[in-house]
Amino acid sequence: MRIMQNSGVPIYQQIAGQFREDILTGKYKHGEFLPSIRSLAKDLRISVITTIKAYEELEKQGLVTAVQGKGYYVNAQDSEMLKEQHMRKMEEHLLNAISAAKIAGISNSELIDVLKMLIETEDDSH
Amino acid sequence: MYVTSVINIHDLSKKFKSFELDIPSLNIPKGFSTALIGENGAGKSTFINILAGIRLDYKGKIDYFNGEKDEEKIREDTGYTGPGSYFMPHWNISQIAEASTLLFDNFNKEKFFEICSTMGIKLSGVESFSKFSDGMKMKVILANVFARETKMLLLDEPASPLDPLMRERLCEMLREYLDEGNGEKSILFSTHNIADMESVTDYAIIMERGKVVEQGFVEDLKEKYILVKGDINDADKAGSILFSFQKNGYGFEGLCLADDIERLAELDISKEIPSLSQISLAVMKKYTYLSEENL
Repeated sequence: MRIMQNSGVPIYQQIAGQFREDILTGKYKHGEFLPSIRSLAKDLRISVITTIKAYEELEKQGLVTAVQGKGYYVNAQDSEMLKEQHMRKMEEHLLNAISAAKIAGISNSELIDVLKMLIETEDDSH
Repeated sequence: MYVTSVINIHDLSKKFKSFELDIPSLNIPKGFSTALIGENGAGKSTFINILAGIRLDYKGKIDYFNGEKDEEKIREDTGYTGPGSYFMPHWNISQIAEASTLLFDNFNKEKFFEICSTMGIKLSGVESFSKFSDGMKMKVILANVFARETKMLLLDEPASPLDPLMRERLCEMLREYLDEGNGEKSILFSTHNIADMESVTDYAIIMERGKVVEQGFVEDLKEKYILVKGDINDADKAGSILFSFQKNGYGFEGLCLADDIERLAELDISKEIPSLSQISLAVMKKYTYLSEENL
């Protein structure tokens, strides 16, 4: 886990973001407990309250559930939510492609052709 | 978040000739590390001494460990370190270990020697405590308190005499202590080295002139105050709104209460998350007894 001190993003959000990714990509499985708040604080060399806030953020997003005295375990992940997650990522990359095409003066139809071609070669290689 | 407290304070007061400690109500959270911040003479040491049972001449009520009445037990479960003479000046390390074994049932001699050697203190030397440098003395004092099985640490300025490496080591030791306790062990420490200790501060209590002027979990304080910076032509407008304010020939910066940030909407400002030092400094300046010209 990488934490940036001066990135402008609060540290608790950085931690929550990385756990979120790990949970959604299946690194943490349903029912598995996240590291305890105090051991995570020790390992990351941050204060306990910061890790609590990160876990509370994950709880708010419905990714984990708190059990008094035991810690936080990972919820069963909704497949719709996972899809939504990947959808957003895909859109982000496509938007990047569109703006790159615009800068280079590539027309929309050319862009679509390239996309089709890439999909075909990708499918062939599988 | 559900938080209980390790110490509850009610109507605590202690009058001196020119100074009065006055804390109507204060709770130290259990399972966390709390920093006591404030300028020289704000009353931090007096407060810690009262909590540690070193000063008994105060008015008010202090509750430990959820109503524990057995004073012997409270003493066993509490680890205190402070400045000033601590061990007899002619004692060497092994004599300190002997004395501590007699003083506390929960003192672990092997653990003490082990911590001493990780901190680079020679165990075999005949050198007496009084010959040690300030930093070395503090290391021995800390090793001594960490060698005991306690539930609460009250540390008066533990970081001050330590070098940067040792300060980091101290932070690690504090985090390990909290981790071992798994919510049952708590720390209260006073410090002037806010930046060095921020990474191990969960809750901050800022004292000025014998009173608690600000307190809260650090993450909450960082949402309560926002660091704003702007151009010089907006300085006067911002100055009337900001909690703390500083300007130079080119621009201004200061802390704005989150509740007031809307009032800066029309100004071209940049916003940042303040550090605990920046928050502490702004609060201390607001309540200090130094006059404006002397700051």
